[in-house]
Amino acid sequence: MDDLRKRAKELLETSAVKVVIGYEQGTANKTRALFVEKAEDADCLIFDSRCVQNLATYVTKREVKDKGKMAITATLPVMRSIIQLASEFQVNDNNLLVLGITPESKLVEFKNLSEVETFVHQYQIEIDAKNKEMLDKIAKMTQAERWKFWIDELSPCFKCYACRAACPMCYCHRCTVDFNQPQWIPVPSHELGNLEWHIMRAIHLTGRCIDCDACYNACPLAIPINLLTKRMLEDVKINFGSYQPSIKADHLMSTYKPDDKENFIQ
Amino acid sequence: MSKIGVFVCHCGENISATVDCAKVAETASKYDGVAFSVDYKYMCSDPGQSLIKSAIAEKGLTGVVVAACSPRMHEPTFRKACAEAGLNPYMCEMANLREHCSWVHEKGEATTEKATDLVRILVEKVKYNQSLNEIRVPVTKTALVIGGGIAGIQASLDIANTGHKVILIEKDPSIGGHMSQLSETFPTLDCSQCILTPRMVEVAQHPNITLYTYAELESLEGFIGNFKAKIRRKSKSLDEKLCTGCGLCTTKCPTKKIPSEFNEGLGNRPAIYVPFPQAVPNKPVIDRIHCTYYTKGKCRICEKVCPTQAIRFDQEDQIVEVEVGALVIATGFNIKQTDFFPEYGYGKYPDVITGLQFERLASASGPTLGEIRRPSDGKIPEKIVFLACAGSRDPAKGIPYCSKICCMYIAKHAMLYQHKVHSGKSYVFYMDIRAGGKMYEEFVRRAIEDDGVNYIRGRVSKIYEKNGKLIVNGADTLLGAMPIEIEADMVVLATAGIANDGAEELAQKLHISYDPYRFFAEAHPKLKPVETNTAGIFLAGACQAPRDIPESVSMASGAAVKVACLFSQDELTREPIIAVVNRQAPPAYSSCVGCFLCVSACPYQAIEKEEIRNRNGELIKSIAKVNPGLCQGCGTCVAFCRTKSIDIQGYTHEQMYTEVLALLNEY
Ligand SMILES: Cc1cc2nc3c(=O)[nH]c(=O)nc-3n(C[C@H](O)[C@H](O)[C@H](O)COP(=O)(O)OP(=O)(O)OC[C@H]3O[C@@H](n4cnc5c(N)ncnc54)[C@H](O)[C@@H]3O)c2cc1C
Ligand code: SF4
Ligand code: SF4
Ligand code: SF4
Repeated sequence: MDDLRKRAKELLETSAVKVVIGYEQGTANKTRALFVEKAEDADCLIFDSRCVQNLATYVTKREVKDKGKMAITATLPVMRSIIQLASEFQVNDNNLLVLGITPESKLVEFKNLSEVETFVHQYQIEIDAKNKEMLDKIAKMTQAERWKFWIDELSPCFKCYACRAACPMCYCHRCTVDFNQPQWIPVPSHELGNLEWHIMRAIHLTGRCIDCDACYNACPLAIPINLLTKRMLEDVKINFGSYQPSIKADHLMSTYKPDDKENFIQ
Repeated sequence: MSKIGVFVCHCGENISATVDCAKVAETASKYDGVAFSVDYKYMCSDPGQSLIKSAIAEKGLTGVVVAACSPRMHEPTFRKACAEAGLNPYMCEMANLREHCSWVHEKGEATTEKATDLVRILVEKVKYNQSLNEIRVPVTKTALVIGGGIAGIQASLDIANTGHKVILIEKDPSIGGHMSQLSETFPTLDCSQCILTPRMVEVAQHPNITLYTYAELESLEGFIGNFKAKIRRKSKSLDEKLCTGCGLCTTKCPTKKIPSEFNEGLGNRPAIYVPFPQAVPNKPVIDRIHCTYYTKGKCRICEKVCPTQAIRFDQEDQIVEVEVGALVIATGFNIKQTDFFPEYGYGKYPDVITGLQFERLASASGPTLGEIRRPSDGKIPEKIVFLACAGSRDPAKGIPYCSKICCMYIAKHAMLYQHKVHSGKSYVFYMDIRAGGKMYEEFVRRAIEDDGVNYIRGRVSKIYEKNGKLIVNGADTLLGAMPIEIEADMVVLATAGIANDGAEELAQKLHISYDPYRFFAEAHPKLKPVETNTAGIFLAGACQAPRDIPESVSMASGAAVKVACLFSQDELTREPIIAVVNRQAPPAYSSCVGCFLCVSACPYQAIEKEEIRNRNGELIKSIAKVNPGLCQGCGTCVAFCRTKSIDIQGYTHEQMYTEVLALLNEY
C-alpha cells in the first residue's frame, strides 16, 4: 500500500485534507485506527486483510470532524457506511474524501461521494453461507424454541455498548437507551432489559445496516447480535427488493407513501 | 404539588347503569395529588360545569380529569369550562367511561375497576400536563387557481365573487381547457363554446381575478393561509399591452404547417398564433420551437407587419412571486392517443381517430366547419364505428378504471353523426353502457331509439385497412359471441381518460398525493372529496379522476366554498397538539442529530431544516424543526426519531410513559 501512503502524504502536505483516517499496526498482531495529521506520520499507514474495523464510525465524531476535511481509507463496507451516512446528512463532499480500497485491494480515489455510490452499487450486499444457514435454522425453530434461543444468547450481555460504539450508524449523541425522561428501555442488563435493547438496536438499523459485522466483531462475549440485523436485511429484501445505501433514494423505513400497504398489521 | 379534581359523570344512566360512579369517585379521592373528587348525574349540564368551575376556584385545582363520555363529544365543553374558571384548558383531560367502559361491559365489579383504572391513568398523566396555547396563523386572502379549464374558471369566478382576490394560471395561451374543444355537450346538446366563452370573458374582466396565461407553477412553499408561490410566465415574445389582437401577424407568418393542438392535429396553425378565435386572452404567442426566427435566426416578418410594434423577440420568461392563502388545483386530464393501440393500427390509419378529434370534426369552428369528413380524403363516412372503453377497464393495458365520460360522449357522437349524415350507419361497440346521471340514460336511449344508432355489446379485437376501408373485427356477446365484421369508413376510439402530463411533478411541487394512475388524491373519498391531504390545497375537476362538465363544475364550486370558508377568518386557530423538536443550550442546541429521516416520514411535510449559525454566519448544526402551521400531530415522527428528540405537546413521552405505568399499577 505504498500508493496509499504516498497519496495520504500529498493530501496532508497540500492541506487538501486535515486528517487521514486509516489503519496502523497495533499490539498483539492486531491493527488499529490511525489518524494522520502530519505528512511524515503517513508512513505508519498500513492495509492488509486484518484491517476489518469499520472506520466510518469516526467520521461522525466531533473530535475527528472538527479537525477539518477528512480523508478515509475505505473498504467496501466502509464505503457503504459512508453512503448511508451521507444520505442521513452526516457527511458530505465538503468534509470527506474517500480513498477507496477495492475488493482486489487496489486504491481508487473518488472525486465525490456520488462516485463512491456508483462504485458501491456494483456489488450486492450478500449474507455469507454460514450466517445464512444459521438464519434458516432460527427461522425453522418454533416460537418457543426461538424465544429460548435468544434469551440464552442475549442474557450474558452486560450492556457495555461496544457494539454501539463500533457501529457507524449509531452516531446519535443521545441514543434511545440514554434517554431517561422517561427511561423507555430499562437500564439494567436483566433479561427484559437486554431483550429490549437488542430489539431496539435491530429496529433502528433496519434499512440502514450495511452488514459490516462491526458489532459482532466488537462484542467481547461474541454474542451473535449480527444475526438480528442480518434477519432484518433479509426482511428488507423481501419487502423492498435488494437494499443498497443511496444518497438520493427514499429511506426504506422512514418514507411516508400514501399507498403504503400496511399489511404488517395482521 | 398537583391539586387535581376528578369529576365522574353518570351520563344519565349511560355510565351509572354498569359502573358504580360513586365508588370510582371515592377511590380517586385517595390518589396522590387528588384534591377533590365527586360524581354527578350530568357533568356537561350547566350545574355540572359549575361544579367544576367552583372546585377550580375554591380548591385551587391545577388539573382536572372529567370521567365521562368521549372527548370527541365533550372535550371542548369541559376545556372551555376550565378556561372560564381561569385554568388553562389543556390542563383538563377526559377519561372515556362511556364508549370505553360502560357501554361495552356488563354491570359488575370488574367494570367499575376498569373505570377506576381509566381515571387513574389520566390523573397520573395530568400531573405532567403543561399549559398550552392555541396556535394562531394569519390568513392571506388570495387564492391561486392552477389550470384554466371549466373547473378552474368556475372556481376562480366563485371565489372572486365572494370578494376575494384570485390568481389564475393556465399553461396554454388561452383558458378554456378541453371544454373549448367540444362541439356540443351531453345530455342537452348545447353548444360547448356558447356556454363556455361568456365565462371565459367574465374571468378576463373580473376585477378580482388576475389571469396569467402561458404560465406554470415554478415552486410552492409555506402552509395553509400562508403559501408563497413562484409562477413562471413563459415568454410570449409579445408586449401584451401594445398588442391589440388584430391578428395580422398570424396571417402573415410564413411557418404555417404546424399541427394545431386545438384541432387535435386535424388542422394547422402558424408559429405565431391564437389557439382559437374565441381565445381569452385574444392575443398571440410565438411558439419558439417552430418559429423560423428562433430555429434559423431569420424571418421577423411578424415584427415587420405588427402595426403597434408589439413583438418582442428578446423577451425572457418572467418569475412572479405571489403570496396566497389557499390553492385550487384544476389541471384537468388528457386522453390516450391512437398510437397506444397496436390492435387498432398503432395510430397509422388516419381514419382511426380519438373522441376529441371527432369533437373537432363535429364542431362548427373546426377544420371541416362542422361537417363530418374523414381525415384521409375528406369524404363523408357512410359507415362509422365507435369503440367504447378503448384502453379503459383493461388491466392488461394498465388502466383498470372506467373513464366515466366515454359512454356518454360516444352516444353524443353517434347522435351528432346521425343528425349530420342522414344516410349514414353508425355502430357502437360497448362493454356496458354506464349512463348514471340526470337525463343520461334517456340521452343514450334517444341515440338508440330515435337516431337508430346500432349498439353492439362486445369488444373489437382488430382493425385493419383494406381497399380504403377499415375492417373492424369484433364479436357480439349478446348473440353468443358471434363474430362481426364491419367495413367502416371511419372509426372513433373512446380512448381512456388519463392524468395530465406533468401531474406527478406538479403533485410533488405541491406536496399533495396522487393515486397509482397519477390523478390527484382527495383527502377522503366520501367526506373530503375536494380536499387534499395538505391543508389549504383543494381539487376541482378532472385532475382528480375523469369527470364530465357538471361534475367538474360542482366540484369547483365546492372547492371555492372551502376557500371562502378559510378566507372568512382573519386568523386560523389550531389546537396546539403538535410535534416539537427539543431545543437545548449550546453547544448541543438539541438532542436532534440532524439525520432528517423524520422529514420523509412525516405525511404532512411539516418538518423542515433549521440551520444554527454562529455570529459569523458559519453553520454550526442543522436540526429538524416542525412547522406548527403544517403539523397535524399524528405522531409518526415521534415514534420514528431514534434520539427521542420529538415530543407531541399534550402527549409527551413522559405523559405516555406515566399512563402506561399507572395502568400497570406501578404507582
Ligand atoms: C371527447 C370528449 C368529449 C366530451 N364531451 C363532454 C360532454 O359532452 N359533456 C360533458 O359534460 N363533458 C364532456 N367531456 C368531459 C369534459 O371535457 C371535462 O369534464 C372537462 O373538460 C373537465 O374540465 P377541467 O377543467 O377539469 O379539465 P380540462 O378541461 O382538462 O382543463 C384543464 C386546464 O388546465 C390546464 N393545465 C394543465 N396542467 C397545467 C399546469 N401544470 N399548469 C397550468 N395549467 C395547467 C390545461 O391547459 C387546461 O386548460 C368530454 C371529454 C372528452 C375527452
Ligand atoms: S457489545 Fe455485546 S455485551 Fe456489549 S452491549 Fe453489545 S451485545 Fe451487549
Ligand atoms: S429523526 Fe430525530 S434526530 Fe433525526 S432529524 Fe428528526 S428529530 Fe432529528
Ligand atoms: S406529528 Fe406527524 S404531522 Fe407533525 S411533524 Fe410529526 S410526523 Fe409530521
